[in-house]
Amino acid sequence: MYGLDAISANNGWQLAALGISIVFAGLIVLSFSISQIHRVLEFFDKSSGFSQRIKKAGREKNISEPDVADSPLPAGIKESAFQFKLLIKHIGEPFSLPELIDFSKKCGLLHSHLRINDLLQTNLIIPDGKGYFLWNYEVEKTLRLFDERGE
Amino acid sequence: MVNLLIEFLSNTGFALAGYQNIIMLLVGIVLIYLGISKCYEPLLLVPIGFGILMGNIPVIRDFGLGIYENGSFLNYMYFGVMHDVYPPLIFLGVGALTDFSAMLARPSLMLLGAAAQVGIFITFLGALAIGFLPNEAASIGIIGGADGPTAIFLTAVLAPRLIGPIAIAAYSYMALVPVIQPPIMKLLTSRKERLIRMEEPREVSKREKLIFPVVGFLLCCFIAPGALPLLGMLFFGNLLKESVVAERLAKAARTSIIDTVTILLGIAVGASTQGDIFLTSKSIGIFVLGASAFAVATAAGVIFAKIMNLFVRNKINPLIGAAGVSAVPNSARVVQIVGQKEDPTNFLLMHAMAPNISGVIGSAIAAAILWSFLGG
Amino acid sequence: MPVDINIIKSLNFFKDFSHADLEEIAPLIDQIRTTEGERITCRGCHADTFFIIFSGNFMISFKHDRSYTLHDRGDIIGLSTLIMPFAYTGTAVALTEGAVLSMPGEELLRIIQSNSELGEKIMKKINEIVEKRMPFVTGRC
Repeated sequence: MYGLDAISANNGWQLAALGISIVFAGLIVLSFSISQIHRVLEFFDKSSGFSQRIKKAGREKNISEPDVADSPLPAGIKESAFQFKLLIKHIGEPFSLPELIDFSKKCGLLHSHLRINDLLQTNLIIPDGKGYFLWNYEVEKTLRLFDERGE
Repeated sequence: MVNLLIEFLSNTGFALAGYQNIIMLLVGIVLIYLGISKCYEPLLLVPIGFGILMGNIPVIRDFGLGIYENGSFLNYMYFGVMHDVYPPLIFLGVGALTDFSAMLARPSLMLLGAAAQVGIFITFLGALAIGFLPNEAASIGIIGGADGPTAIFLTAVLAPRLIGPIAIAAYSYMALVPVIQPPIMKLLTSRKERLIRMEEPREVSKREKLIFPVVGFLLCCFIAPGALPLLGMLFFGNLLKESVVAERLAKAARTSIIDTVTILLGIAVGASTQGDIFLTSKSIGIFVLGASAFAVATAAGVIFAKIMNLFVRNKINPLIGAAGVSAVPNSARVVQIVGQKEDPTNFLLMHAMAPNISGVIGSAIAAAILWSFLGG
Repeated sequence: MPVDINIIKSLNFFKDFSHADLEEIAPLIDQIRTTEGERITCRGCHADTFFIIFSGNFMISFKHDRSYTLHDRGDIIGLSTLIMPFAYTGTAVALTEGAVLSMPGEELLRIIQSNSELGEKIMKKINEIVEKRMPFVTGRC
């Protein structure tokens, strides 16, 4: 059997129509879902800052804020400095940046790369000239990031 | 002693060779030549070509050498083809290689990938019309998906004896995408349409790229469970890539694993291509239908893009519809080249990747649908 | 995304290129956005693309986790595209969102090789950078 008869005899028209419809329906559903992902994420970001509160180091003391007019620091630098100083104390100095990044990720810190860049830009982390890095205690004092107990 | 010698000589290839063996050996050599000298999909055609040589050396039956004899080396390699092991592993590597950002930035372009799959079903009808059985027609139709692993995946289930010619047709036409597509693209579009500049896509966040593989996998496999092996590995590979923490695994998937599987798949598919199937009118039908499948798929994608332009505010350059033919990234590059011939500053590659990738997903879904209709 | 020829000319690396050379190169240069944590190059991988920082901050790490950071527009990543054995010596990662200009190393090499005067100037620049970075690569700091 050949031609249109062969197609009809094997339900070809129905199979093709249904097949095309299902492929289209599937990709329409997928495309719609994808288009909503970033909206859902934006909603979650806006509605709660809980992820930031969870990642705060649990300090209750009053920490004196640096004078913004004197030293414009990246937002969240205090928090980053506190957390990364702890990590650096753990891994020791001089430390490697990739190792610090990996360790911070394992500890659940978000945006490790961005925060380390902030610390580099404010010279809280400085290179030792040999491919490794050191914490800059002088700058930390100058910026008065922490209270006298270093917290 | 003389008897032994005569027996030995009668078991050599020279004594056992028939005209079909000779022709198939020549076919294998031609494929190797095309792969090496002309660089037509060399990563596939060279192993397939050599596999044809291995599979068509005349050997005594039941000697444990032939590909269809249990326990032979070639039979073990063929296991991965027959039981659909290799294609999903290749998709793992594809997922680990591919950046889905273009598709995530403008999901509506996925519909162009869906439109291109029309080529599969129209070719299916054409194959039925010229006398192929439904299972065979579906396996031939899937060539229009322009996706080698998907074609092999479906053919292994529906029409395993046709794996050889279908795989060769699929990969040969994938290599010929730069030849087949441009005339069709120019025929169906005006110069004004080819000059359309598309809006720059939005930036896609890392979180979206992480969420998409999981969501995409769940949705696609709930809709078409038959696509589980292929799409599961595709999305898994992509998740490995995007997660960064599993970079070692992603690197293995897109390098050593995909290369190893490509070798095994090529050899096995080539070796399974025997003269009694390949040197028949069926093969001619497969090659003719395969070419038409590509052409119809290209045309469907381009036409659908023109239809979409009637409804969208940010116009789509209809050339990117041709990238719905899921030969990643060849068809996207063809779109880029054709677009740049009209306007050298019009960069369409990034936009074309969206339908290109959705074409891969669409062809896997189409294969799953055909399997569910015709399998068992 | 295509890059304006004037932007390319403003970068130190392309300062000595003639307008004709830049017109040849410009279509080959792509601006690629990078996101935080995104890997640009991988140590040991085939070096086929040359990058110039357009914006953002990057870290390149070498053997034994030695690393240094790049923060300025015009800094180069992927010098190994021009130096045998054409394998990246470091892994470059974006510390912040930014953008890099990318160019196929082969094309740059071809232009350099076809113009010996230009080639000499470029290779001099590259040698200066390599000299600065080599201690980190070899570990002999």
